[in-house]
Amino acid sequence: MIHYRLAELAELTRHLGRTRQVWQRSGAKEWCQADASNPPPLEAGRSVQSAKGFFFAEQEHIFEFDGRYFRETLPKPAPFALIGVSSCDLVAIAYQDQFFASDPHYQARRQQALLVGLECTVPCEHGFCPTVDAGPAARPGTSDLVLHPVGNGWLLTVTSEQGRKSLQGLNLTTAPEAMKQQRQAQLADCERQFPDDQHIRDGVQALNAGTVNASTWQQMGVQCLSCSGCTSLCPTCSCYGVQDQSADQTITRRRFWDSCLYDGFQREASQHNPSDDAGARVYRFWYHKFSDDFRKDFGRYGCVGCGRCEATCPGVIGIHSVMKRISQHD
Amino acid sequence: MTSLTPMVAELVDYYDDGEAARHFQFRLLDQQQWPPPEPGQFFMLSVPGAGEIPLTFTQLPDQNQHWWALVRRMGSVTSALFRLEPGAILGARGPFGRGWPRPGSDQTPVLLIAGGCGLAPLVSQAERLLEMNLGPVALIYGARSPEARVLGRERDRWQHKLALFEVIEQSPGQTARRTPLDALPDVLAHWGHEPGATFMCGPEAMMTALSQRLIERGIPPSSIWLSLERRMHCATGTCGHCYLSHRYVCQSGPTFGWPELELLMQQPVTTQTPPLLSC
Ligand SMILES: Cc1cc2nc3c(=O)[nH]c(=O)nc-3n(C[C@H](O)[C@H](O)[C@H](O)COP(=O)(O)OP(=O)(O)OC[C@H]3O[C@@H](n4cnc5c(N)ncnc54)[C@H](O)[C@@H]3O)c2cc1C
Ligand code: SF4
Ligand code: FES
Repeated sequence: MIHYRLAELAELTRHLGRTRQVWQRSGAKEWCQADASNPPPLEAGRSVQSAKGFFFAEQEHIFEFDGRYFRETLPKPAPFALIGVSSCDLVAIAYQDQFFASDPHYQARRQQALLVGLECTVPCEHGFCPTVDAGPAARPGTSDLVLHPVGNGWLLTVTSEQGRKSLQGLNLTTAPEAMKQQRQAQLADCERQFPDDQHIRDGVQALNAGTVNASTWQQMGVQCLSCSGCTSLCPTCSCYGVQDQSADQTITRRRFWDSCLYDGFQREASQHNPSDDAGARVYRFWYHKFSDDFRKDFGRYGCVGCGRCEATCPGVIGIHSVMKRISQHD
Repeated sequence: MTSLTPMVAELVDYYDDGEAARHFQFRLLDQQQWPPPEPGQFFMLSVPGAGEIPLTFTQLPDQNQHWWALVRRMGSVTSALFRLEPGAILGARGPFGRGWPRPGSDQTPVLLIAGGCGLAPLVSQAERLLEMNLGPVALIYGARSPEARVLGRERDRWQHKLALFEVIEQSPGQTARRTPLDALPDVLAHWGHEPGATFMCGPEAMMTALSQRLIERGIPPSSIWLSLERRMHCATGTCGHCYLSHRYVCQSGPTFGWPELELLMQQPVTTQTPPLLSC
């Protein structure tokens, strides 16, 4: 692996901006298109939205129909770079890459993207990435480049062939050994600062052992407001609905993020609803994230420990609340 | 890549076939071809402007890419389809899912059980069985009322080829509700021994009750096959709507062997049982 010392982040932003659009997190919070001549400061930590929407769009058109022919409306984005994807969100992208491997709309966007990771040096509120093997160090094979803040500058690590090519023409100096050691020390220090995660380990075990009784799930079901906050912000949630729209002579089918926590998600025309019970829906959400059945298919759990569901839930069905309940640690 | 954009299809013909049900013939236009489907697989029909729904083939596509499907009018898409006339342009994608297994000669007699529109996915399997001429075939067909029965022409055609046991849930002069479960002893008595393979489709509660009853009688669970219905919006295993535990019915189903399905249906929270016959 090649490591460089980067004095100014703006050098990288400007360089990448010559050949592609650059999106960067502004502060820790939001994704915005970076002005390459004057990029915003970059801070580690969890962005409100993950990078999910760059690939699996919140809503998009699938096709247009003119009365005789269907025309697939695949996105054709120009090459783009995302600067500052946190380690957990990189793992989530790798997870969705598997899930949407054959989805032409997702792949049309994904193939244009360069992922520049950003490692955290302090745990974010509610985050638990070490518990689910998703951080704070960027996981192998999930990025093209990775940034780590060291002193006043950055350690820039090349993690893919695409990443290596993207740096061609940029005059960088190789990072000294001390910078790499500093990174290791900061990551180890960060990992030590995460709060106790026993309730999550026990909760996952109880979920897989099937020892959580129906009434516990049902109580949580009652407390779910079906607001879809968790499913929208969760970087690995992938459900969608579709709808046709007519305008002038053209009919368009669009797809949009849906939520398995909505009561009508599985309702059939006959009114038969296999997940009529709100408790069953809450169970299914957590089963999808933490069951060994899915782990066999994907090689890891479906949760990357970002803590967004806990941060956004107006009720009490975010990760920590649920795991405390099902592990009986509350 | 699996496209969500349909091929262009045409409504060729239709006739009314039971209460609020029609048998439609479709064809692909523009020399498009589908890979040959198996009995029990399904396709996604788009009625542009209304939406897209899963339907089973009652007659698999021929060399000219013509096929039939039986549709019950339920909600928005099926109602829009019922307003169309031959020549209408539609969209179609498929074939999808896992079809029925082809039984071997040691798996006779074969029992087919259908409730309501659940007869549709069994039609092409019944035709295949009759063509294979493996041995006796019986069909138990349950419907809400005589008028609700579908696929009249097919049932007439099968008159002398298979043993047909029709069960009407409610009919004048009949006091107790009758479901396919009630006909099971008659069929087994008719043969004098147990079926070698059973294929069924209907409301989930009906299928579960029937499977349990068959197993109680010593019939091997691995010889029982069911076709499941779930809400579907993609048929490519990505929209999530058809989930069943960690599987998607559009890909792992719609047909399942009972041992697999029983495992998938085990979950700590279950929904109350719907009526035995609903469609
Ligand atoms: C594998 C499979 C095969 C089927 N084969 C047949 C068949 O051969 N004949 C037949 O009459 N019916 C069949 N169905 C059921 C049929 O798909 C529904 O009746 C139909 O989707 C209802 O659509 P609607 O718009 O009229 O109803 P609405 O209630 O208005 O439905 C709105 C939307 O919800 C979805 N939806 C609602 N109910 C279902 C459902 N049960 N399954 C899937 N999606 C649903 C559809 O996308 C639909 O556009 C099948 C279902 C499945 C899963
Ligand atoms: S389940 Fe919660 S903590 Fe896990 S990845 Fe989704 S939003 Fe993040
Ligand atoms: S229909 Fe979308 S996942 Fe099965």
